[in-house]
Amino acid sequence: MTDKNIIVNAGGFEFSFTENEISDIDVLSNKTDDFCLLHNQKTISGEIISSKDKAYKVEIDGERFQVQIKSQLDQILDNMGLNKPKVSKIKSIKAPMPGLVIEINVEEGQTVSENDKILILEAMKMENVIKIPHEAVVKKINIVKGQAVDKGQILIELE
Amino acid sequence: MKKILVANRGEIALRIMRTIKKMGIKTVAVYSEPDVQALHVRFADEAVCLGVAASSKSYLNMDKIIKFAKELGVDGIHPGYGFLSENAIFAEKVTKAGITFIGPEPDSITLMGSKLAAKDCVKKYDIPMVPGTDTAITDIPEAQKIAAEIGFPILIKASAGGGGKGMRVVEKAADFVEQMDRAISEAKSAFGDGSVFIEKYVGSPRHIEVQVLGDKHGNIVHLFERECSIQRRHQKVIEEAPSGILTPEIRQRIGEAAVKVAKSCNYVGAGTVEFLLDENLNFYFLEMNTRLQVEHPVTEYITGVDLVEEQIKIARGEKLSFSQEDLKIEGHSVELRVYAEDPLNDFLPSIGQITKYERPEGEGIRLDDAYEEGMEIPIYYDPMIAKLVTYGKDRTEAIQKMNEAIKSYKIEGFATTLPFGLFVMDHEAFRSAQFDTHFVKNFFSKEQAQNWQKAKAKNAALLALAHWKANQTNLKVAEVENTNWKKR
Repeated sequence: MTDKNIIVNAGGFEFSFTENEISDIDVLSNKTDDFCLLHNQKTISGEIISSKDKAYKVEIDGERFQVQIKSQLDQILDNMGLNKPKVSKIKSIKAPMPGLVIEINVEEGQTVSENDKILILEAMKMENVIKIPHEAVVKKINIVKGQAVDKGQILIELE
Repeated sequence: MKKILVANRGEIALRIMRTIKKMGIKTVAVYSEPDVQALHVRFADEAVCLGVAASSKSYLNMDKIIKFAKELGVDGIHPGYGFLSENAIFAEKVTKAGITFIGPEPDSITLMGSKLAAKDCVKKYDIPMVPGTDTAITDIPEAQKIAAEIGFPILIKASAGGGGKGMRVVEKAADFVEQMDRAISEAKSAFGDGSVFIEKYVGSPRHIEVQVLGDKHGNIVHLFERECSIQRRHQKVIEEAPSGILTPEIRQRIGEAAVKVAKSCNYVGAGTVEFLLDENLNFYFLEMNTRLQVEHPVTEYITGVDLVEEQIKIARGEKLSFSQEDLKIEGHSVELRVYAEDPLNDFLPSIGQITKYERPEGEGIRLDDAYEEGMEIPIYYDPMIAKLVTYGKDRTEAIQKMNEAIKSYKIEGFATTLPFGLFVMDHEAFRSAQFDTHFVKNFFSKEQAQNWQKAKAKNAALLALAHWKANQTNLKVAEVENTNWKKR
């Protein structure tokens, strides 16, 4: 069961550690700028950039990670909150990068199915085909061929 | 020459100007409106604005560049790489304006710029080549027929292309028409010429290229090979010199072949002859790039030759100051192209403002860059931020240096190829020099990249967890007071 475990979110991933696993960790150096531990015969070292309560910034090999530790109490509090509904379908297609729309392959009202080609976005001299991850109906097309778009701009709205 | 205009931007403009200054020659920079604060503008003695952001209105505007060059009394133009570097019309216009073009003759550019003409030209020199079409094609049904004859997988390449643009691999017949459409369209928009050619796609290929230098007196030498097989989207990302796999015998043969290719077009200046190397170490001529390459620093490190300086001396009509016998490989060099791209998301451009920028420093580390903290990466041009180059007495040392340099190079604000560089440096296939151009496909698929990232994130989680626990005093702190050794 996970209710005995501590959950840690790090760099967008979720990990679950048992109390035993945690007590097996040997700290080899407790300096924040060169924090080092031994876990399963492997040494791990990095820098604790900042720690505020259970929110950490950790740097390993020059790469930074945001880490959030959730104790059992935190998890209970989380579960008492509203269970957020899982959004599994996308409502719109946004530009994954700034670029130029060079081709639009759908029309408003059209039903599209998974992996259909929606449009072609040219960025950094490369043509990128934007596809759809699941079946949907095209509600509105907010762009025209030849238009320059910003990252995150809503290109096409779906139903 | 007293004053040279560099018709380029970014790191390469800066790199060229450093050598020009070193030679006691004045520099002129050109820039587009969004580049007004760029470092190459600040570094130059004089600078002129070419126009708005779009390359066609600025860095590709030949007449404007030449007009400014004349007004400022420029006597040499260096095109760098990309932009106008392989444009024969530009080379010709520059010469007609009474200015020295620092590069090859327009005829050599035209000849080698067309892959088909190039193959035709080197045929008589007995240079091995990959099976494929020997005429350019735009007709799709005909292309489909030829592709079927050669057998899949096949490679579609823009006839006027370069740098991976307009290049597509087609694994099976069913994908052919769509890929052909894209290749032609990309070729048209990038080069204004939609013709492509088709060739057999070699199974486990390595990309090996040879640097050549030719003077105006008919002397041509090669400066050994560069290994450029670590690529994403058919564009190089990690290069090294020398190759970790060539035997001295093959090195000599491939070098001689490169010199022959250069001779076939009476080549003058710095150029690069690209070859494909198959798993049995057979090499095939691919094409010749009639310019300075992005990855030229690795050659400079192992030969001690400043290639830009040589380009300028050759343009001034001087004889090469060394012969083939004088050139020796000393040590090993590795280069990582640092792109504003997200390696975890198929290397898609990931651009924005640089919120933190710390350069790596030390012996055997060279960083060719053109950015500072607070600057934006413009979307109009190539997303390369810098070239990180390291040097060591042997391959192991050069790789180790790269490892350290990546770790101390801090770029924040968006994703870069730095972590990918670390992945490669630590990878067994790279360390043992047993890899090919499919490295990314084989070892760094989206799923593999995610798993690798997850393993690193888990280490971060463990560090935070241990720190938190240790400071709660629940966790035993191993009884080591202070050790004398540090990591690194």
